[in-house]
Amino acid sequence: MADPMHQFQIAKILDLPKVAVPGLGQIDLSITNSVAAMLLAATLVIVFYAFASAKAAVVPGRLQTVGEMLYGLVNGLTDSIIGHDGKKYLPFVFTLFVFVLFANIQGMFLVFTATSQIAVTLTLGLLVILTVVAVGVGKNGLKFFKLFAPSGVPWPLYILLVPIEILSFLIRPITLALRLFGNMLGGHVVLKIFAGFVVALGGMGVLGWAGAALALSSVVALTALEFMVAFLQAFVFAVLTCVYLNDVVHLDSH
Amino acid sequence: MATEHHGTVETTAAPEAHGGGGLPQLQFEHWGGQIVWLLLIFAVLYAVLAKGLLPRVSGAIETRGAKIADDIAGARRLKDEAEVQARAAAAEVAEARAKAQKTAVDAKAAASAEAATRQAKEEVVLAEKLAAAEARIQATRDEAMGHVRDVAKDTAAAIVQKLTGKAATAAELKSALA
Repeated sequence: MADPMHQFQIAKILDLPKVAVPGLGQIDLSITNSVAAMLLAATLVIVFYAFASAKAAVVPGRLQTVGEMLYGLVNGLTDSIIGHDGKKYLPFVFTLFVFVLFANIQGMFLVFTATSQIAVTLTLGLLVILTVVAVGVGKNGLKFFKLFAPSGVPWPLYILLVPIEILSFLIRPITLALRLFGNMLGGHVVLKIFAGFVVALGGMGVLGWAGAALALSSVVALTALEFMVAFLQAFVFAVLTCVYLNDVVHLDSH
Repeated sequence: MATEHHGTVETTAAPEAHGGGGLPQLQFEHWGGQIVWLLLIFAVLYAVLAKGLLPRVSGAIETRGAKIADDIAGARRLKDEAEVQARAAAAEVAEARAKAQKTAVDAKAAASAEAATRQAKEEVVLAEKLAAAEARIQATRDEAMGHVRDVAKDTAAAIVQKLTGKAATAAELKSALA
């Protein structure tokens, strides 16, 4: 059976020279399959929305309907979770959502899934949490640190509460990253293994064909499930981003 | 950090039987390029969406909302107008009906008044005729009664003549009849 982990191997497609990034040293900026997948996802987003919003018709066509549906979904999230101020953060949450969504979906069709790379998901997670910190400090100044000391608690509890709050805040980018990464990795590995069963059992005579048929139907069902997971994980990423942003936007009512 | 991630991952990806040097995702020499590229791509995507495409999408949605609200307001205005017109028409109909009824009542009243005056006039004429007739009857009767006295006088004279053989005088007859 083919190695189910081989699909996650980074491989160079186009060699580019190393670039010195300040603070990080020499970074190899070659186009790898992961970078290509991200570029493709971002390009698909832009092309899709360029077409979807080209006419901006009052009676929308199919493409425009889908584009507005996704926009409405994220708009609903920022509106219902963050509230009236949510509109400001809509572009950020929306960019996260569509990028993760298109990267996930793209991975269902082509050979490489960018969101199954920890480097990618962790960067997205850190991006979210750094944005949250930036928004929190920008909006509340030093009062941002009230986030770790919720009001209305008897003071001896703070000894216990503050470290827990700090820890739970610091762990957010990691959980964001690992949730997306784990879902994508697990799904693609399981698909690969079941698909491998089809080939392996198919070569074992008549009895094997029954097993192969079973494995094949599992692959079909799992593929459907994975499409749902692809959407759901992007949605969860957007929801959590909104929740974390809401924490610092409405720090007073925290 | 690597081992920590490794532990998390192995539970998710149990069938990693080959174990050929762990997860490809943990080959850190590939991280730098992915991170830098991701940040670049994300920044560009954010800029394009936030400045270019999303305003168009939200603009289309807002335009639609405004158009629908406009159309509904227009329809409501037309409905109100139609209602006002319907009310005016109903009022006109009621007015016309009232006028017609009034005309009918007036005509009836005029007709009955005319009838009454004509009847009164007729009655006056009839009463005059009746009075004249009664007067005539009275006169005729009086005259007849007058003749009765003459007849009685004549008859008495004749009777006296026959019985006595001599004619009674007019004074005797008059005193006998009184």
